[in-house]
Amino acid sequence: MAEQESFFKHSIKVHYDRCQGCTTCMRSCPTGAIRIRGGKPVVSDNKCVDCGQCMKVCPHRAIYIQQDDFALTRNYKYRVCLVPATFIGQFDEQIRTREIYSCLKKLGFTHIYEVEHEVEYMVKLYQQYMDKHPETRTFISPYCPAVIRLIQVRFPSLVDNVIKVRAPFELASRIIVRRLMDEGAARDEIGVFYVTPCAAKIAAVKYPVSKKESCIAGVINMDFLYNKVQLMLHESDKSAQPINHSLSSQDVLWPLAGGEACHFKGSQYAVDGLQNVLNFLERLEDDAVDAEGLVEMRICDQGCVGGVLATNNRFVARKRLEHRAKLFEDRPKTRYERYNNPEFCQWIDDQMAIPEIKPRSIYKLDDDFSEAFKMAERMKKIEKALPGVNCSACGAPSCAALAEDIVRGDARMDTCIFINRHSQASEEAIRSIWGDRVRTKEINKDK
Amino acid sequence: MHYSFDIERGNFADAGQASSSVKRTLKHLGVDPANIKRTVVALFEAEINAIAHAYGGRIDVDIDDGKIVMVVADQGPGIPNLDLAMQEGWSTASPQVREMGYGAGMGLPNIKKNTDDLKIETTVGVGTTVTMTVNLT
Repeated sequence: MAEQESFFKHSIKVHYDRCQGCTTCMRSCPTGAIRIRGGKPVVSDNKCVDCGQCMKVCPHRAIYIQQDDFALTRNYKYRVCLVPATFIGQFDEQIRTREIYSCLKKLGFTHIYEVEHEVEYMVKLYQQYMDKHPETRTFISPYCPAVIRLIQVRFPSLVDNVIKVRAPFELASRIIVRRLMDEGAARDEIGVFYVTPCAAKIAAVKYPVSKKESCIAGVINMDFLYNKVQLMLHESDKSAQPINHSLSSQDVLWPLAGGEACHFKGSQYAVDGLQNVLNFLERLEDDAVDAEGLVEMRICDQGCVGGVLATNNRFVARKRLEHRAKLFEDRPKTRYERYNNPEFCQWIDDQMAIPEIKPRSIYKLDDDFSEAFKMAERMKKIEKALPGVNCSACGAPSCAALAEDIVRGDARMDTCIFINRHSQASEEAIRSIWGDRVRTKEINKDK
Repeated sequence: MHYSFDIERGNFADAGQASSSVKRTLKHLGVDPANIKRTVVALFEAEINAIAHAYGGRIDVDIDDGKIVMVVADQGPGIPNLDLAMQEGWSTASPQVREMGYGAGMGLPNIKKNTDDLKIETTVGVGTTVTMTVNLT
């Protein structure tokens, strides 16, 4: 496929030996990023937003998320496990947080730091940004990296509604690095490893929207770490001391759907789940919903507990976190005097600001309006001529997508098996899409 | 390029199909997001107006090289006092329509704000034709 230089890179990969080319991933992709070529899915880097939907729906478990080598942690003297509350939500309420952390320490981490430690400051950063932009009515939370990328490619008119602040794990990682350096560690001795519930957060660490470098040394998939800890729990240290900085009840709820919105005044929309996010953004773009204030958006159902790397059922994980939040109700909500230090606050504000989020429309047919116009006209005609059954035999997710591929020069009309059933050219075109799966042998008539 | 859509009286649930379809095309054309927004906001408002007030009608959209012309024509009842209808906050919407979050009297003024040209022809008992033009380039 003809593509301009890619501006997004991804960690989602395909096990080609497991993949059956069944088209399920292609049909579920919200940005139409997948095509079948040679019998296997091919992903367009510029369209993919790392939402993980393809991985969730794949019936053959053929899609996986590439993580950093765990051995990488050994390169550092100070090995920080930056863990989101979602991870704790994977474990039964009977297991104490300190037991889980004692397992992480046995795995080689020297420090455990929870992403939600900085919730209080994240709320302040959002609020500061909103106060500085009174001209904007609707603010979209910058929490979920897949939502931001989805807006860039599918809803470019909404990029200015996104709060231009980096994601919470970026703040937590910077603060723990600074704290360790205050205690005498050298920067290159510190390795912060983020435990991710999804592909989008990996992409956000490795290829940030803002180009500002992340201070995270590596990303570990949550399911990988879950398996390790689950195996070790029987030998966990029940007498382990709790870490001295503890999450408040609101912090624990932060990764769940509704966890951000509850901190703000105004209409408090909390939208979760891919289809809901798409519908809401569509409506927002039409001005058909009048949302004043913060709109929280999470691409995964129920928020991060619905992430593709979260092992346990999202509803169970949600209930577990809510249970833990109840246990923490008596804990203080404000914990850091440092937030009153203007120098420290200025440093955070500088670290967390994103200068701009660029629109990256995937729809534009041509830079030249009249050329794009001709192509759009042709596309409309082709779409009408196609059967509209969206069978995907052409290797595109829908007839509309094939029409677009044709005008872009990436596919041919005769790749549609309804249009051209019997010609040699059609046979070859189908073979280029489906490879060896096209069978030429005659049906056995003896039987 | 031409598109047309039917409007059914009182069918708020189906509103927005015209603007979605137009929006998709404008994105393909690489139209500036601000102009796309103006266009769909105006079209959506006009469609809601017709759904709320009219006995049914039709939307015709023509996109040519530099502009989009959207005509929303209905079969009545017509607007008795157009000057009043153009005022912000003036509304004849029924309580039911208001309950759905519409009918704040911002429809026509909002359309005027978002379009480069607005023509309204109306005859009581016959119908209203709203012609909206947005320059795309």
